[in-house]
Amino acid sequence: MLFNSFAFLVFLPAFMLCYWATSGRTRLWVMLVFSIGFYAWWDWRFVFLLLFSSVVDFSLGILLENEQGDAIRRRLIVLSVAVNLGFLGFFKYFNFFADSAARLSRSMGLHVTYDALKIVLPVGISFYVFKTMSYTIDVYRRTEKAERDLLKFTTFVVFFPELVAGPIVRASRMLPQLQRDHAFDYERMVSGLTLVLSGYVRKVAIADSIAPLVDIRFAHPEAHSSVSLLLGVYLYAFQIYCDFSGYSNIAIGLARILGFDFGINFDRPYFSRGFSEFWSRWHISLSSWLRDYLYIPLGGSRGGAWLTYRNLMLTMLLGGLWHGANWTFVAWGALHGLYLVAQRMMGGRVRLPAVVQVFVVFNLTCFAWIFFRSPSFDVAWQVISGIAHYHGSLLDIDNRWKILKCVVLIGGLLAFEWSGGLLARRNDRNGRRAESPPLHRNGWRLAFCAACVWVILIFGTFSGLNFIYFQF
Amino acid sequence: MSDVRKGLIWIAAFVLVVLAGDRLFAWLAQRVLVRSQFRYSRLYRGGNDAEIVILGDSRGVNSFYAPAIEKLTGRRAFNLSYNSLSPEIAEALLLDHLDRNAKPKIVILEFTSAIVSGEVLTELRPYAGLSPRLMALYTRKHPYAARAGRVFHLLPLNSGFYIEALHYMRRDDQDWIMRSALPPEARTAPAAIWRFKPFPQNIAALGRIADALRRRGIEGRFVIAPYYQKHFMNMPQFLGLVEHAVDPDEHVRIYNYADAIDDPGAFADTVHLNETGSLILLKMLQRDGVFAAGGMAGPGARF
Repeated sequence: MLFNSFAFLVFLPAFMLCYWATSGRTRLWVMLVFSIGFYAWWDWRFVFLLLFSSVVDFSLGILLENEQGDAIRRRLIVLSVAVNLGFLGFFKYFNFFADSAARLSRSMGLHVTYDALKIVLPVGISFYVFKTMSYTIDVYRRTEKAERDLLKFTTFVVFFPELVAGPIVRASRMLPQLQRDHAFDYERMVSGLTLVLSGYVRKVAIADSIAPLVDIRFAHPEAHSSVSLLLGVYLYAFQIYCDFSGYSNIAIGLARILGFDFGINFDRPYFSRGFSEFWSRWHISLSSWLRDYLYIPLGGSRGGAWLTYRNLMLTMLLGGLWHGANWTFVAWGALHGLYLVAQRMMGGRVRLPAVVQVFVVFNLTCFAWIFFRSPSFDVAWQVISGIAHYHGSLLDIDNRWKILKCVVLIGGLLAFEWSGGLLARRNDRNGRRAESPPLHRNGWRLAFCAACVWVILIFGTFSGLNFIYFQF
Repeated sequence: MSDVRKGLIWIAAFVLVVLAGDRLFAWLAQRVLVRSQFRYSRLYRGGNDAEIVILGDSRGVNSFYAPAIEKLTGRRAFNLSYNSLSPEIAEALLLDHLDRNAKPKIVILEFTSAIVSGEVLTELRPYAGLSPRLMALYTRKHPYAARAGRVFHLLPLNSGFYIEALHYMRRDDQDWIMRSALPPEARTAPAAIWRFKPFPQNIAALGRIADALRRRGIEGRFVIAPYYQKHFMNMPQFLGLVEHAVDPDEHVRIYNYADAIDDPGAFADTVHLNETGSLILLKMLQRDGVFAAGGMAGPGARF
């Protein structure tokens, strides 16, 4: 089920009604049943995979906690990681690796053919696998207590707001919140609704309006001028940002209304002045997951410069691959790895004005987005060479009205984020609350929420487009 | 006050503010819309005194260059064509035009638009609030969106046409014409096979348009503009269908210029004339008396 579907408009009030009408274990059952219904709306068959994954990690968590012998505990954690990555590997990467191996064999002169299996990718698998995997790893490290209530654990895994496209809410954050009932809280309802509506603006008004403009440019890059392609790349940067941050805002806002705190997943990333800052602001739940369960276990920055560079590259390459079974995602990850390494190598030696730093980081990020968006290296190369071999002008661009609309909306978003950041910093200095002021005042929040609805009505695209991160 | 009570009051206030703002902004936006010089804003604002009104799809836009018609005939021309504008929509627009503006002498309709399904209707929805005819068409084709539009008045203004209307706030939009030339590969390509597949509702609309014109004493010109090197598989059948619906007489005539121009320099692509081609066609129309009113039009020269 999509957040931007008619079905969800029916689902949500029904869920809210049942949720607030119940308490204790009955409420947990409500959360579980509705979440399963939410997932089954897409494909009921994969509900069993989801439940199986939950039961396996629930059982392994208890075994890991009970077991005292290091060797057996190590075997158990290897089993948990193998099961989780096995699911991910089969459903997401089997065809990719088999096809890549066949190509490699052919390039070495061996006659290997491979017919791709028709494997359906279970929606959200990358998210819930990372969630359950981090749980067993935390229990193995003894930084997290094993959950002994299967109902609570399964509810944690399948809770619908963040099930299919994150944020990746770890057990250490979510399980304690499931230990008690959350009473209806007026403040949480208003601030949650503010987030939900701002998420819908990002998705329905901005990302979905941009989508067709980007699609035609990446489908036929040869038919577009340099300026048009460059515009397509910049637009994509905002499409993916608004699509994903929109989903995150809706998920976090819904959870907040229900009494849960998911943290934040995006924090004005395009205002970053460096790439480490960018990754502390972009898809925060994934970047912190990769930091805690990959980069630091690899050694982090503890083993000297070259080992740090290796660890950064490995983390970003795997982070790229996490996004999709295509070498273009690996290239995207590699580019970000290189950016991080280059930034570390330069240290603080290059001093540039803040606005130049933001400009450079944004443009290099956009360059990496070309690989992320392109279905193949050929297309990526066509886009890059099309931009580099300057031809055409602004006047050659089709759909100028639609582009103008998107530019106005993006301008509004950036102005909102910039002023929000400015005010938050000022409030921080004055020791007041750091939440985007003046949105902690009731009247302003009411006006903001109403404005969100008006923007959706006048600029929204109601074609029910999927969220981009569903495919990951 | 309990949190639940406060929450309910907040939601009620929120709904009220949303609806009030929706009405206020929609009202203001509608006022802005009808002040534009965009063709449909001009139509619904009223007060036009064009003697020649043109309707059609993109072929209507690019074949009948209004400034050239005015220069050639000395009569004021108003082109209401738009990409994918079907005769069904053209009928609603024409009748609205006749209700709100001075009666034209001649209405020209590029009727190969009978093969388009009329996707432009969704873009025309900002004007549906001003036209029961457009609203009826829109409600029939998009019942849920029409219903939602009755709840939220801003929703029908969510259209590319609204942005276009803002662009043409102070500028005339009657100068649309393609100036590019047919690409070399298209000039030498063999003639494409072309089969007309008109929608029955569009053919019926052509008949109703002809009747409406007769009733109001307006001359009707149903024209096929030129194509570049097409091999028409069913031209006689298509023309027969239209003739049956329109029932031509001395006031309502049908003209076929489908293969009247074979100069590749006159086309922007194989179905659209460019400015040069439009001028050539307009001179042909004048030669054939298409612009002559009062029953003085030449016979359907090519039909």
